[in-house]
Amino acid sequence: MTAMDTTPDTTAAKARPARPPRFQMLRRTLGTPKGIAGLALLGIVVAMAALAPILFPMGPWAMVGRPYTWPGDGPALLGTDVLGRDMTAAMFWGAQISLLVGLVSASVSLVIGIAVGACAGYFGGRTDAVLMRFTDAVQTVPSFLFTIVIVAVASPTIHSIVLAISLVSWPAVARLMRAEVLSVKKREFVQSCRIIGMTDLRIITTQVIPNALSPVIVIASVLVATAIITEAGLAFLGLGDPNVMSWGTMINLGRPAIRTAWYIALIPGGFVILTVLALNLLGDAINDAFNPHLRKR
Amino acid sequence: MTLTRRQMLLSSLSTVALATLAGRPAWATIDPVGHEGGTLTFVISPSPQILTSAMTTAGAEQVVSAKISDSLFTYDFDMNIQPQLATSYDVSEDGKTVTFHLRQGVKWHDGTPFTSRDVAYTCMKVWKVLHGRGRTIFKDVTEVQTPDDHTAVFVMTAPSPGMLKSLAAQQTQLLPAHLYEGTDPMTNPYNLKPVGTGPFKFVSFVSGDNLVLEKNEDYWDAGKPHLDKLVFRFVSDPATVTAGLESGEFDLVNQSLLPKPDLPRLEASGKFDITTKGYEFQNEMQMIEFNLDDPVMSNPKVREALAYAIDKQWLVDNVFFGYGKVANTPLHYQLTQLYDETDVPRYDYDPMKAVKLLEEAGYKRGTLELTVDPLPYGEYQNMTANYLREAFRGIGVKLTVRNEDFAGFVKRVYTDRDFQFTVNLLTGGSDPTIGTHRTYWSKSFAKGVGFSNGSHYDSPEMDKILEAASAEMDEEKRIGLYHAFQKLAMTDLPVLPLVAVESVTVANKRVHNHTINAHGTYADFAEVWVDPKA
Amino acid sequence: MGHYLRNRLLQAVVVILIIIVGNFILLNAVPGDLVDVLAGRGGDMDADLMASLRARFGLDDPLPIRLLDYIRNVLTGNLGYSWPHSQPVLDVVLQRLPATTLLVILSVITSVFIGTLTGVFAARKAHKLTDVILSMVVLVCYATPIFLTALALMLIFSVQLGWFPLSGLTTAGAEEGILATAADMGRHLVLPVVSLSLFYVAIYARLSRASMLQVLTQDYVRTARAKGVSERGVILGHALRNALLPVITMAGLQITELFGGAVLTETIFGLPGVGRLAYDAVFARNFPLLLGILIVCSFIIVIVNLLVDLLYMKLDPRVELTK
Repeated sequence: MTAMDTTPDTTAAKARPARPPRFQMLRRTLGTPKGIAGLALLGIVVAMAALAPILFPMGPWAMVGRPYTWPGDGPALLGTDVLGRDMTAAMFWGAQISLLVGLVSASVSLVIGIAVGACAGYFGGRTDAVLMRFTDAVQTVPSFLFTIVIVAVASPTIHSIVLAISLVSWPAVARLMRAEVLSVKKREFVQSCRIIGMTDLRIITTQVIPNALSPVIVIASVLVATAIITEAGLAFLGLGDPNVMSWGTMINLGRPAIRTAWYIALIPGGFVILTVLALNLLGDAINDAFNPHLRKR
Repeated sequence: MTLTRRQMLLSSLSTVALATLAGRPAWATIDPVGHEGGTLTFVISPSPQILTSAMTTAGAEQVVSAKISDSLFTYDFDMNIQPQLATSYDVSEDGKTVTFHLRQGVKWHDGTPFTSRDVAYTCMKVWKVLHGRGRTIFKDVTEVQTPDDHTAVFVMTAPSPGMLKSLAAQQTQLLPAHLYEGTDPMTNPYNLKPVGTGPFKFVSFVSGDNLVLEKNEDYWDAGKPHLDKLVFRFVSDPATVTAGLESGEFDLVNQSLLPKPDLPRLEASGKFDITTKGYEFQNEMQMIEFNLDDPVMSNPKVREALAYAIDKQWLVDNVFFGYGKVANTPLHYQLTQLYDETDVPRYDYDPMKAVKLLEEAGYKRGTLELTVDPLPYGEYQNMTANYLREAFRGIGVKLTVRNEDFAGFVKRVYTDRDFQFTVNLLTGGSDPTIGTHRTYWSKSFAKGVGFSNGSHYDSPEMDKILEAASAEMDEEKRIGLYHAFQKLAMTDLPVLPLVAVESVTVANKRVHNHTINAHGTYADFAEVWVDPKA
Repeated sequence: MGHYLRNRLLQAVVVILIIIVGNFILLNAVPGDLVDVLAGRGGDMDADLMASLRARFGLDDPLPIRLLDYIRNVLTGNLGYSWPHSQPVLDVVLQRLPATTLLVILSVITSVFIGTLTGVFAARKAHKLTDVILSMVVLVCYATPIFLTALALMLIFSVQLGWFPLSGLTTAGAEEGILATAADMGRHLVLPVVSLSLFYVAIYARLSRASMLQVLTQDYVRTARAKGVSERGVILGHALRNALLPVITMAGLQITELFGGAVLTETIFGLPGVGRLAYDAVFARNFPLLLGILIVCSFIIVIVNLLVDLLYMKLDPRVELTK
């Protein structure tokens, strides 16, 4: 909608130098303090998700003691929730769901956004106008409100939640992609593909998208983080899937009792912050790696 | 039919009558002893959308509008009739004509005198047409005659003992005919700046935030109300409500808006009155409605098995924090005259028996998968459904909990009938004819109509009992019929009552007389007074 | 310029039309309608009454006809009627607009101001300890969901310390007069505004730090420095001006997000805003109201975006308005 279709993290992406080899990128990303911290924190969350079925084979819903047992007062390390379920088990199983929601919705919105952005940028003209007006429309509706509407329409299950989050978060990707494609398609190698008679589909998938992808990769971690926060927000409003233990569900359960038993809402809140922080650190590290000239000056 | 010609106490005596409800110092009226004036802040949720309950049965509208507008009667804790705008009434010998003698000298807030014309208009044009419950209550009323300004005669095609129990301001409120006649009541601007005859006058309304009322200086009950100002706050977050009570920002909260885990702490602080009285008009029951059209649920052995698998006392203790009682019959225990569990089949917690019954029904351990739809209203139905998932896992039944919003629930259960069983909260009402009959009477089943025989229970024997009970004027026979009802309902088990819920009102101790009759905080608050703020 | 404006407005009309049609269709896929909810709230309605209400509310016409009727009405400025409120939709929305507008404007001002200052400060101390610490704080703010901030602030400052009122926009029935009312509203808005701002402060801080760092190395800044312009002059006169560009873009995005999107904050602090109203409208199946809110919000957002572009053009003459 605005004249400058870039998000700030990539303002400098335009002047990007030639891409360094992959392994070097990786080393550059992970070698920074931010990268190390982000990976370590994320590693904890991933480990929790992986260990959940081993450490808590009864699942997150088993009632192990009296409801509202404070952490340290009973056998459950992090206390029990409103129905006497083990908060520790809930946190471990919740890690699975939060990561799943984050990764799947980010992937879906990346796919939609890349497809829309690439087509709009590559074909231009009427295609561009139609696709971009559609993107505008999705972006003009406040996204959280739109998510609520979609979840309400489809009734809250883990699938509808993931779908809703993806459906509102692709426009940013599409804009970014379009801007990149606009510059990529003018380059010689794309022109020559045309001359040798490659189909548009092949040019887009093999030439344009791979060469326009890096700024999109940079915002992928933001997409994952946003999806996790959105899921928690939805669950906070009672729009969670009751058959899936997510951190947001637990925050929602604990919220009414926050005066008496604040740990039920705030412990999962802490895990949400931790995960998002890890993703942001990692995102920053990747961003720095892609735009090295921004780092040390 | 017995002759029923009754005369009621004159209004001047009514306060005396209430005050003699001895032995309940916490909610008998106490004189304000010089503490006139002050402001009371009352928290409710959700926000009312209009400010009259003459055409809606929604709770928020009822609470706020009963302070502004009156009806013909009020009711004491035992549901005895007390005068409000009707000072007395006569019932004709055949029961088909009821004559109300109206209070004289009553003025609407705009100064216009209140007359029988208002009663006739509201009954015939609003209650009978637009009020969900009014359409049932007044369905036999063909005409309201107005021989003079202070007499209203209801002419009916059949006697209706239930009508006289339903004439309170929280449900059937009188509207000023001079402002409504000839308009569309649903879009009348006075729905939002109401003109009533009650103790409080409308000042301002911010939808979603607050409603301010002030003392009606010309109130017909001289010397009342005691408050200068009555402020409603609409707060949806339960944790905020507790916090506001503790900080003194809010004085009064009703309808269990507080998180139950906070109650023990509030009680221990000694600063609050906590009462479960004043909900005699509601009598809410948490129940499981089994969908008898579902092939699995139609098997009585499965229903019984599930009934044995539930530790209802656990629900009372841990979900309701003790504010409720295990329900062994469909009637709320507060209906003291009718409630009777002798010889009623019981389903005390016995998971072994549940497993056996399931096997008899042909479901080996681990082969049965079910889905429950908890009513999305408050958090308790969802918590109970979550408990059920674990309880049923214990007997080898996999239960999925479905989350949908209110409209989605109503559509799925009552229109599409695409469900197996619900965890519902059903309002029994002040009399079984008002709420409970809807749940068990075969003729109240109709696709698309909510909260009305959701099981699709169809038993000629049950219909006979209910139909006899609703026309029975003899108390003894009525009690006998309802005992038969309770036995049959728990034998056939189309619905499994779980908990007879006790709603809670919490008030700062500076608030007096907030619960003095069956309406509780739905009353007009003319008697309420507050100590000056500390 | 006139051509550009005309183009943009045309685009805006198309966007709003897409929003109307899309949401109209989407909302009609929702199970249950307004009458189901009205009937359910009281728990007591018969089939005849429900049918007659459906007819009154125009719920039983076929979808295309309702859609065309709706669009025709919107074009004549009629957003429909909210039956549960007994009021026209526009009136209901306008009553709730002030709370949201105040919330959004105050939070944009607060977060832009504090965020940019933090960013500029951090950029000047780039890679020193102050910068590292500031960056950490900013990162944590950035990672904290707004509703958690709101809950925590309320617990601490309203509940424990009692410094601010718990909920609502005004003290109902308090003393009147413009000054007293403004002060009262201010007290009610402090925590909601702070909750909404913290997250965006983090964004602006990151943004302005990054663009300051970038700008400070550019030729014209070097030239200015070489010419002996003071450090303060360099920052205020040259660097900041350019660093502000992404900040302005972001402010536009923030307004877009919060107008109607601050559902959680409005819920937690009980503010009578449009976000909460929209949320309630979804569950009440009050679709004329929900569509009305979406249209009003989109309208505001379109105007904000236009203003952002014009401001952009003013600050950075290199930007051409081509689109």
